Amino acid sequence: MSETTTVDARGAYCPGPLMELIATLKLVEVGDEIEVLSSDKGSANDIPEWVAKVKHELVGIDEKDDHWSIVVKKLK
Amino acid sequence: MANRALERRGLQEAIHMSADTLFIILSSGEHEKIQLAGMIASVAAVSERPVEVFVSMNAMFAFRKDRSDYQGGEFSKLMKDKNAPDAIELFQQGRMLGDLKVYPCSMAMDISGWEESELVEDLFEPPAGLTKFLSDAENGHLVTI
Repeated sequence: MSETTTVDARGAYCPGPLMELIATLKLVEVGDEIEVLSSDKGSANDIPEWVAKVKHELVGIDEKDDHWSIVVKKLK
Repeated sequence: MANRALERRGLQEAIHMSADTLFIILSSGEHEKIQLAGMIASVAAVSERPVEVFVSMNAMFAFRKDRSDYQGGEFSKLMKDKNAPDAIELFQQGRMLGDLKVYPCSMAMDISGWEESELVEDLFEPPAGLTKFLSDAENGHLVTI
């Protein structure tokens, strides 16, 4: 059963949210999902780029009122 | 056939290029430049690109354990006000999460008379000379900041 971990990186600037995502990715199992909350627009653009580059899966990205929710699935 | 061979070569070059080590010589003592070096080094390292950083000259002061603050200009003030990620911590994260090596310049260590124990922890490899660093950098891309 895959699990979802939430990383609340609101208030952190680039590349803070990306680093928090990667640190958490190391701790979870393949198949698990991580939801990153980020108020930094640069990170909302950059995290999907990183996910594509290193070949994980971008499950979804949602713009909320004052932040983005980016869901990433660990593939390896 | 020729097209396919060309395509394949392009692909091989692309793969080769993406694996090239990024070498950074960091000499500036300005907060903004150290921050940018930390961003480049950490993001490249966690994006599966090996990175080696050579720290020398005024940049050395920012890596001392007893540094009180970063010295910089207008953008430095903005980054401090907005709580941007700490520059030295970016290097440490890159080392922890990716393939990043940071070397203090052996000449700078000799001239300053500092011990390795006076530099921030969990970051540095033993001091390296410029000759070795430049020789390694022949097989990658070199950026000077």
